[in-house]
Amino acid sequence: MERSSEYEDVAVALAEVRPVPRADFASELDELVAAGFPRPSRFGGPRLATIAARLRAPSPRRLLLTTSSTALAAIAIATVIVASNESASGPVALDRRPHQTHFSEPNPTTSSGSVPSSGAAVQGASAGVERSGESSDSAVQDTFSEPPDSNAIYGLSFLGRAGHRDIERSAEIGLRADRADVADDSAKVFSAVHNARGIVLHSTTTAGRNAAAHFDLLIPSVRLGDALAAFSAIDEVRSRYEATDDITAPTVALGEQVQDSRARIDGLLSQLAAAETESERTAIEAQLQGERHQAAQLRSRLTRLHQRVDFSRVSLRIETGGSSTEPGGTWGIGDAWGDAGHILGIAAGVTIVGLALLGPLALICLLAWLGRRAWLQRARDRALA
Amino acid sequence: MSETLVAPATTAPRDADTAFDELYRSSRDDVYAYAAGLLRDRAAAEDVTATAFERAYRKRSRFDPSRGNRRAWLFGIARNAALDELRRRSRQAKLVSDPIDATSLDAERSERRLVLVDALGRLDGSERELIALKFFAGLANAEIAAVLKISESNAGTKLHRVVAKLREVCDGAL
Repeated sequence: MERSSEYEDVAVALAEVRPVPRADFASELDELVAAGFPRPSRFGGPRLATIAARLRAPSPRRLLLTTSSTALAAIAIATVIVASNESASGPVALDRRPHQTHFSEPNPTTSSGSVPSSGAAVQGASAGVERSGESSDSAVQDTFSEPPDSNAIYGLSFLGRAGHRDIERSAEIGLRADRADVADDSAKVFSAVHNARGIVLHSTTTAGRNAAAHFDLLIPSVRLGDALAAFSAIDEVRSRYEATDDITAPTVALGEQVQDSRARIDGLLSQLAAAETESERTAIEAQLQGERHQAAQLRSRLTRLHQRVDFSRVSLRIETGGSSTEPGGTWGIGDAWGDAGHILGIAAGVTIVGLALLGPLALICLLAWLGRRAWLQRARDRALA
Repeated sequence: MSETLVAPATTAPRDADTAFDELYRSSRDDVYAYAAGLLRDRAAAEDVTATAFERAYRKRSRFDPSRGNRRAWLFGIARNAALDELRRRSRQAKLVSDPIDATSLDAERSERRLVLVDALGRLDGSERELIALKFFAGLANAEIAAVLKISESNAGTKLHRVVAKLREVCDGAL
């Protein structure tokens, strides 16, 4: 005990008035210390009470261990949930591009056409844009739900389609398959195209290490939905993309040109019938031949437009890159690396999101704790003063 | 009504238990003397002493030797408990005092003790705390500095002033 000599007299005097604890209190406190300061239990059984006592007095190491374990468990659970949700919805959810609808700019020649119905057709196109914007799929269904028009034979089907939209549809679909399954999947694609009464424009199928397949297809637009569903059922869908393009305006404009051409041919035929001289007839026949040639070209272009509407172009790819299994269906080292990276990526994402949520919360708690500590210290100092 | 008494977790290292036992045996009376000297109330001093040792027992595994010795750490806990008691008293505006008995010795010594007790009562709380820490609890200046979170030289200076004031009050009374 440090006692400087200058305080000796004070120390001696104060030693006489030094408070001494009562014997009862001292023995009671001794018992408490020996028993480890037991607390009345609010829990029924001794096991629960022991757990509660452990929770009440956590050491820093145990607190750190518990917090770390809880955080790891939370990350693991969240990772499993995210991964299972992802696999349930498939890569489509990640890779699928939004359904797009394109509208061709109205042909400038349309508004200058001589056919009275052209103005109405353009108005219909404007209205159709809004309708297609609301529900392009329903617009497409409306367009193709009516029976084929006989005027289509002559390229004049636009007359019977007034008020309807001519929608060109296209789609791309990517499938992921095992290398061993590419041939079987290709056969299923042919079968699905056949069932949809479609046309295989082009196909390539590669076997072996870099097994893959690619198909360019024409599918009747009215059966496009069913065909895409059939393709999607063949194997795991990696990506899927659909687009629509409103080609009503060029179709209408071309139809008007065909009609004008027919009118000119009719006029020339009338002139030919009324021709009196051989030279006159020869000249009219030459004009008639040219006009018929132009009419044929216009009808051909119009037919191609109608084919674009009636048949949808579908590009289908079967790929094995990033496959979930090695050749032969076995799960290998490369797949393990890929899966590990994927899981780690998800876990990192979950951790970042968790930190983003918990960080501010922890900061608020820390500030509150520091504030309370400072306030308590000041309050104690004030109490002493 | 019967109640289950549960011993707390015994996961603290055994050396921490041993060290606590030694600390308790060597400091029980000192802690009580400090609390009683500061609060001037035996019952409150007993409560504070029990509370201080219970808190120290719960935190025994968190003791960090790099931040001071065990006695200073214990008296830091006891000081917080005593100040909390003072705060509670101020909130309740109630002072139940149990003055220190000064009538057990001969008349001259008894008179001198009464004067000293009265002089202690005239000191303010922080001054009385210094006296209690130094002369009742027997802490060294370095330990007092650690408890009060001030420098050792500052603790020595304050102590010198308080002792001078105490002497002055006592001389005036005699």
